[in-house]
Amino acid sequence: MSIALRGIAKQFGEFAAVKDIDLDVPTGALIALLGPSGCGKTTLLRIIAGLETPDQGQVLFDGRDATLWPIRDRNVGFVFQHYALFRHMSVSENVAFGLKVKRRRERPPAAEIRNKVRSLLELVQLGWAGERYPAQLSGGQRQRVALARALAVAPDVLLLDEPFGALDSQVRHELRRWLRRLHDELHFTSIFVTHDQQEAIEVADTIVVLNRGRIEQCGVPSEVYDVPTSAFVHRFLGQVNELPVRFRDGRAWLGPIDISAAAEVRTGSADNIALIRPHEIEIGSQASGWPATVAAVRVIGPIVRLELCAEGQPLNEPLEAEISRERYAAERFAVGQKVGLRFRRWQVYPAGAAAI
Amino acid sequence: MAAAKLPSAMDARLSRLLLIAVALVFLGLFLALPLLVVFVQALSKGIGTYLLAVADPMALAAIKLTLTVAAIAVPCNLVFGVAAAWAIAKFEFRGKSTLITLIDLPFAVSPVIAGLVFILLFGSHGWFGAPLRAHHVRVVFAVPGIVLATVFVTFPFIARELIPVMQAQGKDDEETALSLGATGWQTFWRVTLPNIRWGLLYGVLLCNARAMGEFGAVSVVSGHIRGQTNTLPLHVEILYNEYNYTAAFAVASLLALLALLTLAGKSFLEWRQPELRHVAHARDRTRRAIT
Repeated sequence: MSIALRGIAKQFGEFAAVKDIDLDVPTGALIALLGPSGCGKTTLLRIIAGLETPDQGQVLFDGRDATLWPIRDRNVGFVFQHYALFRHMSVSENVAFGLKVKRRRERPPAAEIRNKVRSLLELVQLGWAGERYPAQLSGGQRQRVALARALAVAPDVLLLDEPFGALDSQVRHELRRWLRRLHDELHFTSIFVTHDQQEAIEVADTIVVLNRGRIEQCGVPSEVYDVPTSAFVHRFLGQVNELPVRFRDGRAWLGPIDISAAAEVRTGSADNIALIRPHEIEIGSQASGWPATVAAVRVIGPIVRLELCAEGQPLNEPLEAEISRERYAAERFAVGQKVGLRFRRWQVYPAGAAAI
Repeated sequence: MAAAKLPSAMDARLSRLLLIAVALVFLGLFLALPLLVVFVQALSKGIGTYLLAVADPMALAAIKLTLTVAAIAVPCNLVFGVAAAWAIAKFEFRGKSTLITLIDLPFAVSPVIAGLVFILLFGSHGWFGAPLRAHHVRVVFAVPGIVLATVFVTFPFIARELIPVMQAQGKDDEETALSLGATGWQTFWRVTLPNIRWGLLYGVLLCNARAMGEFGAVSVVSGHIRGQTNTLPLHVEILYNEYNYTAAFAVASLLALLALLTLAGKSFLEWRQPELRHVAHARDRTRRAIT
């Protein structure tokens, strides 16, 4: 089922949670609503689910106006961050709930419900846990039960609100991959909310970045990551270094590096910043670029992160650079070593634009 | 250092013992002793006299009335309490804080005033006195008045017990049930009610104890007609005022017994809830050991 939002706005008292949102979610898509807390992503998801009513605008399900449909008529599966399993029911009873509450003539016979529950539990790799109670399962297992329960009623749309937010990183990583596979097998339309950019990039086909109730950018993960349209998106998706762009003699400078040729110097005004991702910094010999001192070296699995104090920059704001383990093995940068920096890529934005 | 520590550790133990002793003496003096006196007095002239006092037709009528009133008032407050707690815990609406204050009103107001309010409303010279008389309906000095006064006084018990429980549980479970296609009723019976059952039972127990024990408000609206509008607490007072101490304490011992049963039930519920989890775990362990 395709979903379309037209001019959605929602206000809670004085606080405008979402403002004039337009969004199209094609059938079978897996979309991430990404943003910091308070950006309106959960409100938007709840509006699609029918748990909130928008003040303005329309929600279209396959082109039909569903704005005022009650949640139980929407055929959406909703998964909460904290699982919301019914604690007084066993795992099987939880999964069977949506089938058992159907009207008598729509309700499948008991044997069929049992089979369906069993196959769903197999699907989420919890075939052994049917008689357990939620309190006896780990967080990751509980969330898989919640997913099985949502899938039991064969929803057209699966909505997930920070589904992996309460899990530790190992389990989270595993469940992300598993959700992606599940989506590819079952072809429902999924929308999930997250504040974790890595999660969004790993799982989603399309990322919708929200900020202060508005859509900042919408696109495939690599596009949003590589070609951010605003400083906000650039900062939110991954680490960035921030440097002021200085204008001298009609040219634009990042420290001692002349960026006039490549840069969008158009404005020529004083207040511009350049954002540079850690892996876009090149480290060479002292003469090769902006002189800097290595302030810290941290080996993190396959990458090595260096903190670099560039000449003329405040000491307490070192730049962060990332190089591969292999490169590090070859160069052996040590704390205190003098190096020279160059930037492979950067992007210039007007300063003062929406900080996180 | 060690020398400095030692006295402070002793001080701590001493003050702990002192505090425990004070608490125990206080409890013994003001709670256990009176309870004991009730039973000693009740049985002071032998078990025969005790049974006679309890089996007296007037006493039996009082017992019956008290049970009847509780049987009406507690279910009423069960419904009101659950509805109010649900509204307050799960919805945002204008006037919510006013509603919370109103629920606490019976705790704040003296029961005597509660009784007087009903006399002012339903008494023969009260606001609704004339129309009620015209239809030959008696509220004050009759069972309906006693029920009303009891409902009023015991209103907060169940709602107050449930509001924090429901607030802590949030709305996720209910919203999940709705998203799975359940109706409002199905959601309530299958999800909300099982989630609050222990808190609810606890509230019902306290509400019942108060409903049976209420004196002030009931005393004002009852009219003290023996065998008709006398509840157990009122009957105790009448017997006492007639210098019939043994009978008074015999009937009072029934109320004291009710209090003890309530406390036992309360402890059972408190013990039961964590126990439920232990049982499940133990069952699980044995099953794993077998397979």
